[in-house]
Amino acid sequence: MSKGILAVDNRGKRELGADKLVGWDEVTQGIVLTSFEGDAANIASLKAEERTYSDFNSYTATVASWRVIKPIYNRDICIDCQNCWVWCPDSSIISRDKQMLGIDYDHCKGCQVCVEVCPTNPKSLLMFVEAEEIETALAQWPEKKKN
Amino acid sequence: MAKKYDINEVEVWDGNYAASQALRQAQVDVVAAYPITPSTPVVENYGNYVANGYIDGEYVMVESEHAAMSGCIGAAASGGRVATATSSQGFALMAEVLYQASGMRLPIVLVVVNRALASPLNVRGDHADMYLGRDSGWIQIDAFNAEEAYDLTLCAFRIGEHMSVRLPVMVHQDGFITSHTAQNIHPLSDEAAYKFVGDYKGVDDMLDFSKPVTYGAQTEEDWHFEHKAKQHKALMDSRTVIDGVFAEYGKLTGRNYKRVESYMMEDAEVAVVGLGSTVETLRVAAKQLREEEGIKVGIVAPRCFRPFAFDEMADALSGVKAIAVLDRSSPGGAMGAFFNEVSAAVLSSANRPLVTNFIYGLGGRDFSIQEAKRIIREQKAHADAGHITTQIQQFSGLRGPKLGFFEAKRS
Amino acid sequence: MVEIRWHSRAGQGAVTGAKGLGDVVSTTGKQVQAFALYGSAKRGAAMRAYNRIDDEQIINHEKFMLPDYVLVIDPALAFSDNIVENDKETTKYIITTHLSKEELMSQLPELKEREERVYVVDCIKISIDTIGRSVPNAPMLGAFVKISGMFELDYFLDRMKKVLSKFPQKIIDSNMDAITIAYNEVK
Repeated sequence: MSKGILAVDNRGKRELGADKLVGWDEVTQGIVLTSFEGDAANIASLKAEERTYSDFNSYTATVASWRVIKPIYNRDICIDCQNCWVWCPDSSIISRDKQMLGIDYDHCKGCQVCVEVCPTNPKSLLMFVEAEEIETALAQWPEKKKN
Repeated sequence: MAKKYDINEVEVWDGNYAASQALRQAQVDVVAAYPITPSTPVVENYGNYVANGYIDGEYVMVESEHAAMSGCIGAAASGGRVATATSSQGFALMAEVLYQASGMRLPIVLVVVNRALASPLNVRGDHADMYLGRDSGWIQIDAFNAEEAYDLTLCAFRIGEHMSVRLPVMVHQDGFITSHTAQNIHPLSDEAAYKFVGDYKGVDDMLDFSKPVTYGAQTEEDWHFEHKAKQHKALMDSRTVIDGVFAEYGKLTGRNYKRVESYMMEDAEVAVVGLGSTVETLRVAAKQLREEEGIKVGIVAPRCFRPFAFDEMADALSGVKAIAVLDRSSPGGAMGAFFNEVSAAVLSSANRPLVTNFIYGLGGRDFSIQEAKRIIREQKAHADAGHITTQIQQFSGLRGPKLGFFEAKRS
Repeated sequence: MVEIRWHSRAGQGAVTGAKGLGDVVSTTGKQVQAFALYGSAKRGAAMRAYNRIDDEQIINHEKFMLPDYVLVIDPALAFSDNIVENDKETTKYIITTHLSKEELMSQLPELKEREERVYVVDCIKISIDTIGRSVPNAPMLGAFVKISGMFELDYFLDRMKKVLSKFPQKIIDSNMDAITIAYNEVK
């Protein structure tokens, strides 16, 4: 499945709950968890996929296998209104400069909120079973409804 | 830069004032406090010093002790030297947050002026609040008089902020008996005191924007145990750091502290083990009885209530035949907690002395030299008889019929 | 060891008096202890403050005391409180009263029995005349200096000025007057 937009991205690289369980001598002092590797002074100016998220950050973890239906995005119809980006409860709509780029399938839980709030006709986001290929889904996209 | 404070070589300060001067000399950055009797003057004075330019710091007024410790945690996690003070009900309300502070390994200093817990409501001193903190993961150091409250508060910053410790530290003193009793005190100069304490060095400061951190993460069963074990290990390992800080302070002042203090134990046949200002009164009684009746009695007292000096306690009591352990907290249906701990330490050694438990001084009830002597004579009687001649737990200084529990079983 | 018990009402300055005495005594190289039995006491409630003075460090923290001096700074407490409690054959009493020693003893037989150890001084009047309000602690210190012979008056005044150094000059001066007058008037 598509991982996003840049090769350096470490999004969703580990399955949450499958972490290596270390002993008491290796856990962090005071349960203090760092969000990034290295100097993060300039981190706010970087895009998510450029950031050095640490293994303690939920960005690098995934719970995607929980999902049974998934939203598929149709670029040809989307008007970049950002409604789905605003409403998504898992920050799983990827958008840059107010332009919609796609779905973060590592964090999307398939809740269908994006589909509900999509205002286009036909909708630019529709739910499909998890196993559906994106190309197949796009090929069977519905026509615009009259009235 | 803070203004200079006039300070004499000998001052007559009470325990509260002494502790507040230590906070000033350590130039504590933030105090978040909800003042309560008898510890009120500690934070009141800090606010005064800040308002008058003697401390470059911040006094944060909050709406409860729960909020006070929460504020301290926020400030400490942000990266500042932090302290506050409380007593009794305030301590009880703070209890939940105490565990957060130690779990997050934040070196906050808490001056605890020991006071009884209601009900009945009582502002005077006993050790109910100190006992309430004993599983909270804090280092607990006990001052027996006002000068010690000053000394140990300075030491507390050094101990807690040590890079291999990073744990919060309570400095206990007895409500009124120490907190409101003025005595001769030999403070360090501001320069010497600050030099001893040193600049605050942060670890994982939240205000370090180059390294954003999460404090207070949730762990559940696959991580919680390891974190608590690591915390316990740090508390246990703090023993050598405490010894080192005490030794350094001793070189500076001539006042030498040990994690277990022993008095007249070299040839002692019987011993009394106590906490707080009672320890000093016991020393007077023991000295008098040695002179008047020739009873070879010594006094043992933990300076460090946590981490408990299990080995040193056993060593200190290794040569005696009978021991009285004094608990100044209502035991609530058991032997006194301190009795249990001392007994366990003694059990680990080859010596099997006769150990009895006295519940005394609740709600500030006076502990007199006369009563101390009576207890010591009783230990001598146990030693001479070779068995415990009284009930194992007794109430001392109580009006009404004699109250006690448990007989020693003899075969 | 010299032990002193103050009988006072909360708000009359017995605690301040006991601490002030402690401050001065500490400058002589002696060890002191100053404490009080109060907590949530209302202003006006009877209370007691205590001093211990010794050459050695004072490590006795019991509240029980066999006083060498009993200082009563409220006139009514000589009547309502048990001021002779736990006394010794040598305990000296300095009592604030507008009455003469004979008048006071005629009403308090327990003082008659201790006649040669009883001293009177009107700390209330002296403090009103000098300081301008009823703060009988300062004059009592003057009377104590005289009866105990523990210090020369000038030495005590000099040290007390330092203890009070954070107060305005007018308050320091009036306190010095109060101490001096009581020193001269106690009998």
